[in-house]
Amino acid sequence: MTTFALARPVRLDLDAFARLAGLHPDVVRRFVALGLIDASSDPSGTLWLTPSQLPAVARLQRLRAGFNLNYAALGLVVDLLDRIARLEAAQRRHASTPVSTGARQWK
Amino acid sequence: MARRDFYEVLGVGRDASADDIQSAYRKLARTYHPDVNKDPAAEDRFKEVSEAYDVLSDPELRRRYDAFGHDFRQVPDGVDPQQWARARAGAGQSRAGRAGSARTREPDNDWFSSAGFTGTGGIDFEELFGDLRGGRGRSWGPIPGADQEAELTLSIEEAFRGGRRSITLSGPDGSRNYDVTIPPGVTDGQRIRLAGQGGQGTGQAPPGDLYLVVRLAPHPRYRVEDRDLYVELQLSPWEAALGATVAVDTPGGEAKLRVPAGTSSGRRLRLKHRGLPNTRGAPGDLYAEVRIMVPATPSDDERRLFEELARVSTFDPRRQR
Repeated sequence: MTTFALARPVRLDLDAFARLAGLHPDVVRRFVALGLIDASSDPSGTLWLTPSQLPAVARLQRLRAGFNLNYAALGLVVDLLDRIARLEAAQRRHASTPVSTGARQWK
Repeated sequence: MARRDFYEVLGVGRDASADDIQSAYRKLARTYHPDVNKDPAAEDRFKEVSEAYDVLSDPELRRRYDAFGHDFRQVPDGVDPQQWARARAGAGQSRAGRAGSARTREPDNDWFSSAGFTGTGGIDFEELFGDLRGGRGRSWGPIPGADQEAELTLSIEEAFRGGRRSITLSGPDGSRNYDVTIPPGVTDGQRIRLAGQGGQGTGQAPPGDLYLVVRLAPHPRYRVEDRDLYVELQLSPWEAALGATVAVDTPGGEAKLRVPAGTSSGRRLRLKHRGLPNTRGAPGDLYAEVRIMVPATPSDDERRLFEELARVSTFDPRRQR
């Protein structure tokens, strides 16, 4: 019989996440409150974060250090950068694969 | 290592005002910030620009830079520039100027606790960061490096076969070489991740990743849509009318294709799983698009037979149905 190991979801509490990110937990909590990074909270109110958010935090730090942005502007800049990245990816796909209408394309 | 003049880096003259310097820096920072510009060369440029601004934006450091050039951090206070120029070697190593590079500054993550702030209640962090922590807020602890992107152009044959490919990325610090394994069936826009080869982190923080974004070069014969390939299949009128078995070139080698009788131009004939391979599922298909060709200058016999066909046939492709 095939058996499967129980997989524990990889999640970090606020302190562990803050340690990995090199930040004070209050700053991380602040990021979550401002919607700059995603976190989930359980019924007891404990915040849980995933390691995948660490690069996002690093980007927030870099942008803040580079441009001296306040937190509201930081959220806007991050959203716009993500949107530009998505649009550029879509544009790349379009440029290389002409939309097929099913009709023969004569040269 | 030859270092560029800080004024040259910012593109301003030596007599530039503080406002000019700040304006030049802001423009360059917006262009080359590693989170805005994914080009691997941008990060080095951003570092260079930041270092130049660090020095030139501080009146005291700027004065010392003007007097002593790049060595100004090794010069003790109160030294005459001309005297220094005569005896450059070895002077003042133990007394670096008051502003050790921003990069060597001690990480100060403990700042919050040492300043007595343990909670967020009633404290506006933006005010704290923005006003108290200095002009550009460069006093965070170690920050991991940014991810970078570079384009990798592949021919359709290379994407089909996969394999190893040597890649050279040029930068101001010389070129970097990578030996990259390309998975068979990589498609346009897919990213190949080179872990840890992206932008440098500060302090002990890890570097980012380098992503090679695949671009498929236009091919004279094949057109690609996702994993499906399209190729033109030229047929003579009698092959199209009577049916035939013809050879079609595919990236994986020649394939035999049966053309059913009564095939007109524009019909697509599918060769299943002859498109780009897929490591995680079914490969794409190859579609041969029929195009009927006629001889530009028919021989006498051909002309006679076509005329006879025209006389005998009742087929009218333009008849309204």
